[in-house]
Amino acid sequence: MTREIALRRPPISPAVVVLGGLFVLGLVAAIIRYVNGLGAITNLNDNTAWGLWISFDLLCGVALASGAFITASMVHLFGGERFRPLLRPAILTGFLGYLLVILALMVDLGRPDRIWHLIIFWNTDSVMFEVGWCVMLYTLVLALEFSPLVFERLGLVAPRRLIHALIIPLAIAGATLSTLHQSSLGSLFVILPEELHKIWFTPLLPLMFWLTAVAVGPAMVILESTISSRVFQRGLHLDLLGDLAKVIPFVLAAYIAVKFGDLAGSGELDLLVDWDLESGLFWLEIIGFVALPMVLFSLRAVRESSGWLLFSALLVIGGVILSRFAVSLIALGRPEFAASYVPHPLELAVTIGVVAAGVAAFALVARYLPLFVEAAPSTAAE
Amino acid sequence: MVSVMARVAMLFDAFRCTGCRGCQVACKQWNDLPAEVTHNTGSYQNPPRVSSDTWLLMQFREVEREDGGLTWAFRRYACMHCLEPACVSACPVGALYKTEEGPVLHHNNRCIGCRYCMLACPFEVPTFQWDKGLFEGPQIKKCDFCVDRLSAGMEPACVQTCPAGALMFGDRDELIAVAEARIQEHPERYVNHIYGKDEAGGTSLLYISPVPFQQLGMPKLGSAPIQKDAEDIMQKATPAVLVGMLVGLSGLYWVVKRRQEMMGKNGGSGTQGDREA
Amino acid sequence: MTNDWTDIKNSDCILVQGANPAENHPASMAWVNEARDKHGAKLIVVDPRFTRTAATADLYVALRPGTDIVFLGGLINYTLQNRLYNEEYVKYYTNALTLIHPDFKGPADLDGLFSGYDAEARSYDTASWQYQKEQKTVTVTQKDPVTGEDVTVEKQVSVPKKATSLDDPNCAFAHLKKHFARFTPELVEQVCGTPKEKFLQVAELYCATGAPDKSGTIMYAMGQTQHTVGTQNVRATAILQLLLGNIGIPGGGVNALRGESNVQGSTDMALLFHDLPGYLGSPTDKHPDLAAYLAKFDTTSYWVNGPRFFTTLMKAWFSAAATKENDYAYHYIPKTSGNYSWIALFEAMYAGQIKGLICMGQNPAVAGPNARLERKALQNLDWLVMMDLFETETASFWKGPGVNPQEVKTEVFLLPAADAMEKAGSIVSSGRRSQWRPAVAAALGDDKEDIWILTRLVRDLKEAYKDSTEAKDRPILDLVWNYGDEPDVELVAREINGYALEDVKDASGKVLVEKGKVIPGFATIASAADPGTIACGNWLFGGYFAEADDGTGTMMPAVKRRGQNDPGGYGFYPNWGFTWPANRRILYNRASARPDGTPWAENKKVIWWDPTADSGQKDAQGNPILGKWVGYDVPDFPPTKKPDAKADPAKTGLGAQAGTDPFLMKSDGKGWLFAPAGLNEGPFPEHYEPLESAVVNPLSGVQNNPVIKLWDTDADKEIGDRVGTSDEFPIICTTYRLCEHWQAGAMSRNLPWLAECQPDMFIEMGEELAQEKGIKNGGQVIVASARGQIKVVALVTKRWRPYQVNGKKVHQVGMPWHYGWQGLATGDIANDLTPHIGDGNTMIPEYKAFLVDVRKA
Ligand SMILES: Nc1nc2c(c(=O)[nH]1)N[C@H]1C(S)=C(S)[C@@H](COP(=O)(O)OP(=O)(O)OC[C@H]3O[C@@H](n4cnc5c(=O)[nH]c(N)nc54)[C@H](O)[C@@H]3O)O[C@H]1N2
Ligand SMILES: Nc1nc2c(c(=O)[nH]1)N[C@H]1C(S)=C(S)[C@@H](COP(=O)(O)OP(=O)(O)OC[C@H]3O[C@@H](n4cnc5c(=O)[nH]c(N)nc54)[C@H](O)[C@@H]3O)O[C@H]1N2
Ligand code: SF4
Ligand code: SF4
Ligand code: SF4
Ligand code: SF4
Ligand code: SF4
Ligand SMILES: [Mo]
Repeated sequence: MTREIALRRPPISPAVVVLGGLFVLGLVAAIIRYVNGLGAITNLNDNTAWGLWISFDLLCGVALASGAFITASMVHLFGGERFRPLLRPAILTGFLGYLLVILALMVDLGRPDRIWHLIIFWNTDSVMFEVGWCVMLYTLVLALEFSPLVFERLGLVAPRRLIHALIIPLAIAGATLSTLHQSSLGSLFVILPEELHKIWFTPLLPLMFWLTAVAVGPAMVILESTISSRVFQRGLHLDLLGDLAKVIPFVLAAYIAVKFGDLAGSGELDLLVDWDLESGLFWLEIIGFVALPMVLFSLRAVRESSGWLLFSALLVIGGVILSRFAVSLIALGRPEFAASYVPHPLELAVTIGVVAAGVAAFALVARYLPLFVEAAPSTAAE
Repeated sequence: MVSVMARVAMLFDAFRCTGCRGCQVACKQWNDLPAEVTHNTGSYQNPPRVSSDTWLLMQFREVEREDGGLTWAFRRYACMHCLEPACVSACPVGALYKTEEGPVLHHNNRCIGCRYCMLACPFEVPTFQWDKGLFEGPQIKKCDFCVDRLSAGMEPACVQTCPAGALMFGDRDELIAVAEARIQEHPERYVNHIYGKDEAGGTSLLYISPVPFQQLGMPKLGSAPIQKDAEDIMQKATPAVLVGMLVGLSGLYWVVKRRQEMMGKNGGSGTQGDREA
Repeated sequence: MTNDWTDIKNSDCILVQGANPAENHPASMAWVNEARDKHGAKLIVVDPRFTRTAATADLYVALRPGTDIVFLGGLINYTLQNRLYNEEYVKYYTNALTLIHPDFKGPADLDGLFSGYDAEARSYDTASWQYQKEQKTVTVTQKDPVTGEDVTVEKQVSVPKKATSLDDPNCAFAHLKKHFARFTPELVEQVCGTPKEKFLQVAELYCATGAPDKSGTIMYAMGQTQHTVGTQNVRATAILQLLLGNIGIPGGGVNALRGESNVQGSTDMALLFHDLPGYLGSPTDKHPDLAAYLAKFDTTSYWVNGPRFFTTLMKAWFSAAATKENDYAYHYIPKTSGNYSWIALFEAMYAGQIKGLICMGQNPAVAGPNARLERKALQNLDWLVMMDLFETETASFWKGPGVNPQEVKTEVFLLPAADAMEKAGSIVSSGRRSQWRPAVAAALGDDKEDIWILTRLVRDLKEAYKDSTEAKDRPILDLVWNYGDEPDVELVAREINGYALEDVKDASGKVLVEKGKVIPGFATIASAADPGTIACGNWLFGGYFAEADDGTGTMMPAVKRRGQNDPGGYGFYPNWGFTWPANRRILYNRASARPDGTPWAENKKVIWWDPTADSGQKDAQGNPILGKWVGYDVPDFPPTKKPDAKADPAKTGLGAQAGTDPFLMKSDGKGWLFAPAGLNEGPFPEHYEPLESAVVNPLSGVQNNPVIKLWDTDADKEIGDRVGTSDEFPIICTTYRLCEHWQAGAMSRNLPWLAECQPDMFIEMGEELAQEKGIKNGGQVIVASARGQIKVVALVTKRWRPYQVNGKKVHQVGMPWHYGWQGLATGDIANDLTPHIGDGNTMIPEYKAFLVDVRKA
């Protein structure tokens, strides 16, 4: 068996109390919502049918969970065995991420009790159909990829073997589903050529979403590793993270290229100098959250400093959040109704509760399951 | 639905419309929709927009004409019953569907409440019951073309009410002919365009207007169905990516593995770690 | 309406002036649009504000409130100057050629006044307004009252003198020309604030309907009538239509778009103080006995039958108690001794002269002018009985704003009434067409039909007086009220229609109608040997409940018919319901044919003289007499009277009129361009400013209508009849209706769907004024007049613009008047601002033009 890293923390800490409190608050909000309707705790209305929960909990949540498939692909498919130490936390982050997305969706959906309708009523024209299936299937994949930790903890060898045997197909399925899923979230907005501001609208939204998801995957691994190394006081694989980060500038470069190429292609570059909200957002994203981290990550000094790595990763993450909000909320002008949507405090509470639940779950898993495995050598095990 | 003539449509003549809102109220009456609590915010228009309780809203716009004159333009704001409805395309569970006869309907029992249809509709028509909890089961609501009346051989409530003859119900091709004739006979009254004939792939609601349609409040739409790109993605790109990735990644894995095995033979560190996934 | 709603579709030009049919008579738009579709008719709207009717019009023109006479006068002048009038029509069918008293002088000579004005009495001596008459000696055959034999006697009659040419300076036409010559396009611009070119556009379009194959209709309502010169506004309309030959023809007419759903019926039934059913006119203290009263009926028009109609009315009311010997109980009828119109009544109430009020389907607390004063007047009542569907502001006046319920002694009874849908009966639309409506819903709770309530009231009154021997109580005891204890409204309808109390016979003794049967029409009353054999509640409705063919051969009471055949395609639908009089759709339709009886134009033919048609009468030899009026409508003319029939001064009634006299209710059979009688402020309409005006009358030195009654009760008090001046209140205000609300609001503000549409009381104003006053769209504003102030939402709109009047910029604002404190949609009461002032003839309040100021709240 692999060696676990012992965690030296008391079971009940102030942090746990705070997280629990936040989660309970979110839960209460959700209960109000179930009893009195979405209108009771959200500022959603017919002008703004999707708000914070879709923009953040779903769109950002899924994007930020992309570390799982990136790492899994690296380790299992692209021969990046070195990155194995990053794998389990990344899978967990992804898995939790998806669970939280589902949790949030269960609050956001008008009829969560009918979620299973997705399975029996098919409309294959609908991007939402794809999104739904990807969530379901990929969560399943993540669950399977994560299951060995549980089996290990329980000492169940047979099922663990089974998973082990399936790990490659799972990784392939995971990468495929993630690609479909990450991109399909972008595709969701391809049906809004009129409502979405021209700077942000493009039929290439799925590609953009996918690219940013690929970029943010390593960034998330960096974030999660850095934080957990500090919180759980364990060693940080700075070298691995630095290597992982190398890929980011290429992806971001591709993203910039696609973005400008697309606007140039549709002859809408001039919109960028309108200096309105949308063009402002565009430049903010491109300069502050794409170009800057692109440069930073290309610098060896940055990649070798945990602080700078974290900072640059945060930039990428921030950029993804910004672009998700831009597409799904800010630049989504309803031409008729100047909708000024600001999330309701209780809406925020649900999101915070969901995040708190995620952090708490991570901590719990970290405490009770063999999450952080030593890198190697492990020949002794069997 | 039975006995509905094929391709039913409605013609809204904004020149004739007097903004009396008889249609708006008749719609509520027939469909038994409650009134909303409203306030005068400096306009005749109320409620502010269509909602689950208001499926049809007359909107009021004061449009200054080029000749210095004024037009008080009244826009019918309700479902357009698109020939190729974006809402239908968007609905993951097929809760929205286009009937052969024309109306676009909502099959409430299927709906999961994702509200993607609300985003997808270029006319911002579908609405949601924000104030209904899980037990009351919130629904997506919109004009249903009065199918219950249609199947009983009656015209929609709004059409029947309209005192100014601004609404006409009938066969789509025939109504297009009527609209064309009106424009031709009175070019001074109308903009030379039938909105909905081609917009977004065509709609069952056809509009003619004395002011440019954007000033009337209609979105500027091309003739391609709004969901064309999205459907291309679903029908072409998605399967391609799916298959491509499954095959590609398997191939890649195979190649990488081969290479590593070769390297392993050459004294590499092996792949024992696999089992630790 | 002289014509019917459906007839609007026959028009070539529709002038809407002083009405807003798209909002207040929405169903009429179907016919307006049909006219526009079928023959390219134009719709012109003349209104101070851009309405929803204006929104669909081909031409919209703004005019300053209260200046219609100048605008219409401008059209009249344009017609005259450009000789666009239908000369043959004018010569034959109007009094254009009649010579006027040589002493007559008009405003052109007398600076705004007509001859005969008495400033003290604020009234006119109308002697100089009369026709010149010539005395003729005629021989008449009449029955000797003693012997009963026919005898011939010589009689002096005076007949109006006629000029031979329209150029005669003393004829009505010449006076007309002179009077209206002042109403130039420049004056229109100066007074109405309407740019000259805009006015000329209207003139060109509308006055073209003088062509014989064209017709134009004028749709008007409160925008014309609710002024101190309201009646004269309508007169101007009538004059214009007469000149253009637009009366009596399809697509023409003077068309008052009536208000409350059955207001036409209630006017017909004389719900106003000055009338008896069928427009017989109330007896006044000038008519101490029946003879004096009957003497007021013309003898040279169809009104010659007035006395007969009165007889049948009294028989309907008092039956056996009304006998020839007791002058048909004439003494039972109260004689009016003054003005009992709305304002006068409330002033009397305010002065404590009225003890009790039965308010049946009215909401004066909101609807009356200077409503604060009127609500205070209600406090002076001992009791108030309300019959209404809702607890209205009137029913709850004691808890209205500024009222301390403890100080109100009035005892209020609220009797819940059943709604129109909950009871059967006939209602009469503006087009004079009555239709029967069955009850389609059961009354709610304790709601009762009004007739049920009234029946109990009558029963209890009779009970209360049953032992009285006093003469003054006889009317109550003798009143016939036998519709059943659970009243049967069909019995009422039957009585209105008229039925035979005994066999009705003509002069020759032939039985016209058997005892107990309904009469087929008022002609029976005219030809009965003894009208006292008939009880008829309203002669105009004679035949409305008689069995008639619905066009498919099925017989039913005429008013219940729903036959849809439409001979001629004019939309007359003769088998649908019943149109008084005699199921006639177009009044004065004799004028739809030329003097010689042939139609003016093929596309406008309604009735015409067919010389070959069998008249149904036989000459002395027994040969059929040929010649008859035929066509699609019931001729408004003796059906066999030849077009070339000469007036016979020896005869009375229609015999005294010629075959070319279409206006058979007028003493001379003519349409009156010049009105020698009937109007208090003069034979022609003259422009005077509204009581409160921002403008000094640019036309003459007479600022206001010289015959209006001015009230100044408590003018110095907080609540009172104060009149505002333009330095304190510089802005013109008008009030009007919204499509979404009904009247004083009880019926619509209690309906959630309508409350939702127009939830709050508001004021509309232009962007310029709003900017000047720092008022924001949607913000709150205070509107103040000399009577009070209210707080409302500001609706700032491009649809309102200031006027340039006399070189001065005048702002105007407008408000709906539907709001009050009861119901779902509430708001301040517009009428708290309106003045107690009425029209010079009808006393209708001047709701449409008064002065206010506005400021940000
Ligand atoms: N929806 C609705 N319909 C109604 C009613 C209602 O309350 N609601 N009420 C019914 C009743 S009782 C009546 S009497 C009728 C009244 O029907 P209308 O007369 O059409 O009613 P208003 O809106 O009072 O006034 C008509 C127009 O006159 C304009 N006006 C004001 N001053 C002047 C002026 O000096 N000259 C001219 N030319 N126009 C002027 C006003 O701007 C307004 O647009 O409507 C009937 N129909
Ligand atoms: N400022 C301003 N004031 C105006 C006007 C204006 O233009 N401007 N217009 C004026 C005009 S034209 C009119 S007609 C008056 C109208 O003034 P009102 O007649 O006082 O107003 P309504 O609201 O029509 O009142 C009718 C009442 O009858 C009740 N009712 C309805 N059906 C029945 C029934 O079957 N039986 C009984 N017993 N009650 C019933 C209704 O609930 C309602 O309360 O207002 C006048 N006031
Ligand atoms: S208007 Fe909107 S809701 Fe109606 S059919 Fe078209 S897309 Fe669907
Ligand atoms: S809300 Fe309902 S109808 Fe709309 S897209 Fe979702 S499932 Fe379909
Ligand atoms: S068709 Fe029926 S449901 Fe649709 S707007 Fe008209 S009345 Fe309302
Ligand atoms: S009922 Fe007819 S005229 Fe009235 S608002 Fe509706 S479409 Fe326009
Ligand atoms: S008031 Fe009545 S009759 Fe007049 S348009 Fe409205 S519904 Fe029709
Ligand atoms: Mo009225």
